[in-house]
Amino acid sequence: MTGARYLVGVDVGGTFTDLLAYDEAEGYLLSAKVPSLPGEQWRGVLDALRELEIDFDAIRAFVHGTTIATNALLQRRGAKTALITTEGFRDVLEIGKGRRLTGGIFVTAWQRPAPLAPRDRRHELAERVDATGEILSAVDPAAVSKLADALRRQEIEAVAVAFVNSYLNSENETAAAAALRGKLPGIPITESASLIPERGEFERTSTAVLNAYLTPVMAAYLEMLAQELSGQGITAPVNIMGSNGGAMTLDIAAERCAGTFLSGPVGGVGGAVRVAGAAGLREIITFDMGGTSTDVALVHDLTPRMSHDNQIDAYPLRMPQFDIHTIGAGGGSIIWTGADGTLQIGPQSAGALPGPACYGRGGTEPTISDANLLLGRLTSDRPLAGGLVLEAAAAETAFKPVAEALGTDDLVAVADGALAVAVAKMAGAVREVSVHRGFDPRDFALVGFGGAGPMHGFLVAEELGMTEVLIPRFPGHLSALGQMMADLRRDLVKAWGGRLSGLSLEELRHETATLRRQGADLLLADGIPADRHRHEFTMDMRYTGQSFTLAIPWQTDSTDFGPLRRAFDARHEESFGYAVSENDAEIVNVRLVSTGEVDKPALNFAPRRRDGPKLSRRRVWFGRWTDTAIYDRSDLPPGFEFSGPAIVEEEGGTSVIPPGWSVTVDDGGALLCRFDE
Amino acid sequence: MNELGRLELIRESLVAVVNEMRANVIRSSFSSIIYEGHDFSCALVTADGRLIAKGEADNPSHIFAVPYSTAEIVKKFGEDIHEGDIFLHNDPYTGGTHLNDILMLYPVFHDARLAMFTATRCHWGDVGGMTPGSLSGRVKEIYQEGMRIEPTRICERGRMNEAFLDLLLNNMRISHERRGDFNTMLGTSRKAAEHIQRIFLRFGGDTLLDAVEELISRSEKVTRERISQIPDGAYHAEGYLDSDGHNSEPLLGRLRLTIDGDSLIADFTGSSPQSNGPMNVGPAMALNAVATVVKSFLDPLRPVNHGSFNPIEVINPPGSFLNATLPAPCGGMSECRALMVALMVSALGQALPEKLVGDLKGGANHVYMSGPKPVRGGDKAGIFLLYEYPAAGTGATIGADGNHVVRAFTEGDFNAVQAAEIVEMQCPVRIEHYGIREGSCGDGEYRGGCGMRRDIRILADGASLSVLADHAVIPPFGVAGAQCGAANRFVVLRDSEVIQPSPIPGKVGGFALRKDDIVRLESSGGGGFGDPLDRDPERVRRDVFLGYISAERARTRYGVVLDGGDLVDTDDTETERERVRAERFTLPLQLGNEDERAGARRRFTVSKATAERLGLDEEDLVEVSSRSGAAALRGWIHIGETDEALQLGRLGAAALGANAGDRVELRALSAILS
Repeated sequence: MTGARYLVGVDVGGTFTDLLAYDEAEGYLLSAKVPSLPGEQWRGVLDALRELEIDFDAIRAFVHGTTIATNALLQRRGAKTALITTEGFRDVLEIGKGRRLTGGIFVTAWQRPAPLAPRDRRHELAERVDATGEILSAVDPAAVSKLADALRRQEIEAVAVAFVNSYLNSENETAAAAALRGKLPGIPITESASLIPERGEFERTSTAVLNAYLTPVMAAYLEMLAQELSGQGITAPVNIMGSNGGAMTLDIAAERCAGTFLSGPVGGVGGAVRVAGAAGLREIITFDMGGTSTDVALVHDLTPRMSHDNQIDAYPLRMPQFDIHTIGAGGGSIIWTGADGTLQIGPQSAGALPGPACYGRGGTEPTISDANLLLGRLTSDRPLAGGLVLEAAAAETAFKPVAEALGTDDLVAVADGALAVAVAKMAGAVREVSVHRGFDPRDFALVGFGGAGPMHGFLVAEELGMTEVLIPRFPGHLSALGQMMADLRRDLVKAWGGRLSGLSLEELRHETATLRRQGADLLLADGIPADRHRHEFTMDMRYTGQSFTLAIPWQTDSTDFGPLRRAFDARHEESFGYAVSENDAEIVNVRLVSTGEVDKPALNFAPRRRDGPKLSRRRVWFGRWTDTAIYDRSDLPPGFEFSGPAIVEEEGGTSVIPPGWSVTVDDGGALLCRFDE
Repeated sequence: MNELGRLELIRESLVAVVNEMRANVIRSSFSSIIYEGHDFSCALVTADGRLIAKGEADNPSHIFAVPYSTAEIVKKFGEDIHEGDIFLHNDPYTGGTHLNDILMLYPVFHDARLAMFTATRCHWGDVGGMTPGSLSGRVKEIYQEGMRIEPTRICERGRMNEAFLDLLLNNMRISHERRGDFNTMLGTSRKAAEHIQRIFLRFGGDTLLDAVEELISRSEKVTRERISQIPDGAYHAEGYLDSDGHNSEPLLGRLRLTIDGDSLIADFTGSSPQSNGPMNVGPAMALNAVATVVKSFLDPLRPVNHGSFNPIEVINPPGSFLNATLPAPCGGMSECRALMVALMVSALGQALPEKLVGDLKGGANHVYMSGPKPVRGGDKAGIFLLYEYPAAGTGATIGADGNHVVRAFTEGDFNAVQAAEIVEMQCPVRIEHYGIREGSCGDGEYRGGCGMRRDIRILADGASLSVLADHAVIPPFGVAGAQCGAANRFVVLRDSEVIQPSPIPGKVGGFALRKDDIVRLESSGGGGFGDPLDRDPERVRRDVFLGYISAERARTRYGVVLDGGDLVDTDDTETERERVRAERFTLPLQLGNEDERAGARRRFTVSKATAERLGLDEEDLVEVSSRSGAAALRGWIHIGETDEALQLGRLGAAALGANAGDRVELRALSAILS
């Protein structure tokens, strides 16, 4: 086969740029890992591409997970941003709802992080829409013109326009933005309601300002990337991974960059969904553990849960994104003792430099990786990626002060105890996305990936009573894999509804038809033909009088609201422990997810050795020193079965399978593991 | 199971239960004050009523009182507590906060014995009583504040006492919402109990309960170690609430704080008698306030359990407004607690000056607007109830300015302001302004945060306004020589005229509003830290640039002169600072035996010349402050025969933190606040 044959996924992380290319003709994966270059992510992407040594003409599709927006925000490198808001509401962005949002509730000297548009760059405009959507006063063009002069004097680089009640009627907001665009050519302008037409002026304003603040940085990066890629002769469409789990075109990614904060982690969730689907699993919890943090997400019926009420850094963010919960515990998290003599983990991390003590690069504090080395789960015998040989003596030295503080000289017990605490923290993160949302984790399989996921996933599963674990092939590259296969996706929302008893089905049909048309148009504009579109509606619902909503799927061919109501009551009972069928229920928003499907390959990986796996053994701590089988992942053929205790080693990940688990290698090379005591 | 990690594992597991309870309440409740305001808290308590764990954002004022309530229930029901029982409580005299805070205690059994309780305390939007929302500044007895529930078993062995519930809810406004809130608490408790059962199964009952004891005793050890590092001694503080709501007499709070080795004794003896208005609290709040400050000053970052309370002893004789008895109304719980917190800050701050923090808004700032709800769409006719509880500026600390309009360290972390877009959808009002109240910060080397201004236009006839707040007369104090923040202010604008809705500022009961009135809420600024003349001129310039203070204020208070281009004029600033310093009115401190008082009021006797110089009349409110001292000392002017010196008794001098012969500054508060 000639012509386009490679699907490419690139995940740019803080330390490494990770690239995966799937050769559809031959059915194998190529991978490359190169250092990320701060400030020049595109250069890392090119370096990684070159390392693959593939014909650039032959790239069929290219999806990129980027941390540009996240990094620019965390380092406060965004644009000089102004906010235009309704007269009387200048300070909403700064004071919000009076919450601290960044913890430290007993700290007297707590400081609020500075707003992204400081007070002198927040301008009021006389205009008003009331709570029924009626315009009480329209935007005065002369006032906008004067404002544009002021913005020019302030050398503003980006503008957010956010008016009160614009989610009900965005005419004023749009008029002001249009007038400003005319006066300030080249300056990106974000309109709050066009980004997210949802109630809540603080959250909507905050989201619009985040978006405006980051747009110039994102646009500059994407422009550079597009230029460099086309300079290399890459003509395939380049898409950016969005926080909603779908890919988006470069233009949209710049325009809606507040929708890219989870660009990296969603790739992993998407990859896990693919691998789980292939293994016949529909209910999974993804467990992506890296060096400094762990990301978990719940996938119900092969559909990742969405979250609309988010926060990034100190700032509320209303863009729809995968409901991924992140905690600061990873392989590099530091182990220490608290003032009351209890074992504590993180959130401080040894990072890539100096790294865990056992890396021998000058780290002196014990980390999770050091604990795994002391327990025999990691080994000095097999070098890590990049040829690094772990030093057990350094790990032991690092653990001694902690053991002393706990009054013991049993380093293995300390390492084991520390892991138990770390596992409890990670289990807490899993509970957050499951139990807190009304799901029982025992109904789910855990999919472990990322550098440290396969090593701790089984322990977390045991902690939660989960009896199924799936370890995908190439666990260290799953994010890139997920990005490679991402569909295009657009999320649309319409604030529409009322009490079910008073709603007209006909009106709803009109609303859904309009949304559907909008979704289809957007996908067509992205170049996806109509026969590859999929449209799925959900209703945000609650009992009348409540505030928070539950998302209930809606079938557009429904002939009455009965099934919707019953589904809502059932979901409420599951989530909150009660349902009141005699209460009025209401719809608040109609949501549509429009997906443009792209071709996805079937993933098949042949084992390297055809004569079956080669086995070695070593002692590993599982409550006691246990003689344990050690496998090389690339040797394992489909259908191969074995049981724990066992260790499966591969580049970029070590699976630690405790006693009681039995493992089958599935056709895609994934380890399908069951706990059967 | 490995023992080294187990303790932390168990703590982590129990905190997870509480966090899950919080998520449940927020997402399923019916009162906007709960789902928007997050005015609720969750905790786990031992079978004998000691705190095991609370949530990370939970309000200490709710939770630190739960042990008291639980102990009362255990005392009342003893062995007669069974699986399937549920208890309800809000009575302030037996450990409640104010009547709006309804506590549900849900016993959790293991191996047929009572093992612990889950506690959920939610602020219900209305619990009956004299005015909508139940809290009012003008009540005279607790019966006007709504339904009072002494420890009551509402569900016996799984059988709900529906008659009691009906009686309760039928006497509250918008009762279907209250029933929704009740269901939320019930569902939350049930799910939490299931979760706890799983933890029992996993660790085993004895192991779990032993670990709880171990965690409590370790926390106690840490707190005792920290207390033992404070210099031993007795520290005095005094402070005031504006009034009881019916007359302009202030209420005096007094504290004698003793540090003795590794324990701490807080003695509130000598505080004013209980009042006829809402400014009273029950017995649980003193420990609550003391423990909050101990936690904040000594150990702010670690999780809380009962061990943090054990080293604290509280002496608080019944019959004062800080430990009131039937029928004193207790709606002013937050305000009384805030006063006790302020007393603790001034007293403990004398021992630990680097921990001092400027004073806060003086309570919860309850504001209710209510009236008939115009019928719109498919809605039924009814009443609307808009409850606002504005945050304010927070106090400055050494090295850090206070923040504008945010929850303070005493309050947990929940919303303090509702979205205009939600309020306008639910009530016939329009929010015309919501922002930082410029110029309200307390000046200092580190300034307090600014308060909030919110203008609410009433769009329907027949509405009324009730307010229950303090620090509307006596403003939040500064520390270490700094100045006070602006006082709270609640007024009505009618045809561009400013109307005081009550003769007693901050205490309003059912003031009749008209259509198109604007209710203006202005919350206080936080007190400053240190002398404003020591503030970095660049910080002053920035405050002017951002509009937090005026250029005039920069000059008169901070001695900072800005040239036309908004730059600091260094030479002029130096000169101006010397001038401002020289103009300050200071007096040498003279030590007498007794403090001079007229009723509750501390009296400062000054000569006619002094009074004239400061523009003071008899009975004017003033403060005395010292750079080396803690909180500014407040008093009222008496003009009489005296040397040119300030006479203070032993306790007054101790509270100010100054010695005989020290020169202290006398300031008219009206001059600072104008």
